[in-house]
Amino acid sequence: MLRSGLTSRRYTVEDALEAIELYFEKGWTDGLPVVPPTEERIRAMLEAVGLEPDHEITFITNRQTAVTAEKVAINAVMAGCKPESMPVVVAAIEAIGDPRWCYHGPGTSTGGAAVLMIVNGPIAPRLQMNSGDNLFGPGWRANATIGRAERLDMRNVIGTLPGRLDRSTLGHAGKFTYVIAENEGDSPWPPLHVERGFSPEQSAVTVMAAEAPHQFYNQLSNTAEGVLTTLCDDMRISGNARGQSQYVVVLAGEHMRIIAADGWSKADIRKFVFEHTHNSVAHLKRTHRVVGPIKPEDETTVRALVPSPEDILVVAAGGRAGAFSAYIPGWGGKRTSEAVTKLIRA
Amino acid sequence: MLDGIFFEKRGVPSASIVTDVFEATGRAMAETWGVPRYKFLMMPHPIANLAEAELDQRAREIAPEVVKLLLQGQE
Repeated sequence: MLRSGLTSRRYTVEDALEAIELYFEKGWTDGLPVVPPTEERIRAMLEAVGLEPDHEITFITNRQTAVTAEKVAINAVMAGCKPESMPVVVAAIEAIGDPRWCYHGPGTSTGGAAVLMIVNGPIAPRLQMNSGDNLFGPGWRANATIGRAERLDMRNVIGTLPGRLDRSTLGHAGKFTYVIAENEGDSPWPPLHVERGFSPEQSAVTVMAAEAPHQFYNQLSNTAEGVLTTLCDDMRISGNARGQSQYVVVLAGEHMRIIAADGWSKADIRKFVFEHTHNSVAHLKRTHRVVGPIKPEDETTVRALVPSPEDILVVAAGGRAGAFSAYIPGWGGKRTSEAVTKLIRA
Repeated sequence: MLDGIFFEKRGVPSASIVTDVFEATGRAMAETWGVPRYKFLMMPHPIANLAEAELDQRAREIAPEVVKLLLQGQE
């Protein structure tokens, strides 16, 4: 039982539809209808994580904003979350408040990053999270509502409003919701959270400021090197002027099995992708990504796309059929914002 | 912008400059940090693709405003 009461302002309405319209009028939605956050529903969210309403989940320093459990619970209700998803939402909020994620940059930048969340561990199947077909698409409540809750917090609690403190030039649909789980059941590799210091029995969410997923296609090759060569050719020219801070590479069923059959580990994949996505300075100058006249040595001087192989996060997920996988560029240049993994306490 | 606000909070005169499309964002940041009337300067957007001579011209144009703001202060 919660010891303290809720302090958010209350509104009295005739019915749920009037509440939904009120939220539109107030500018508290992402453009879609919300679930009215009644006290009973808010309390159920808080009970699910055992947090008092005034508990500070994170403090966004650059915005001078405390994000309390009560506000996170309200927005989780609005997003349509079930209470059992609340631990993931709380962990994701902790992650975007981590100084390494650097909220103000990806939250505000014209670059238009969304918050990609990758869920690992036993909570993913328990919440029936999707890690397979239509990976980034609609259809799974936990995936859709967890990401939506986090974005509503950014908007309604942290003030990340388009035209004010969200200056995305284009943005992308992942800013509605951008949540996947890793397909740990079929994956031949250690899951992402284990690579990042957690045990297989723990659940964790990895949060990265991310552009939209870019598919690549290869149904001709039956070798790891062949599939990844196609990936690298696409990825190589996808960076900003000084490269990107990080990438996620999502390997779906067919590609996952081909690469695993060749005995390649995630470390082997990272190393290959890192080494095959360098650009020459001459190329960057020719394509107006770097300023200045081309000097002879620019043809042989190369720049890496990311600071190190470890900045390529490899995830096994996506449908079993289809010769597609994807890469996801992170936001900004080297080390401007980095992926953060937080324990999900459930 | 925020650096300028920090300087002012420590009593060091400063002049923050944004391009005009970021006026609302600059104002929102000032409000966030409790200085809604914080004065800052604006120049036309964009600047990243300007040639060196054009940048020099921009600097010459705004320099008197920078001096004025530094001498005048935020009050």
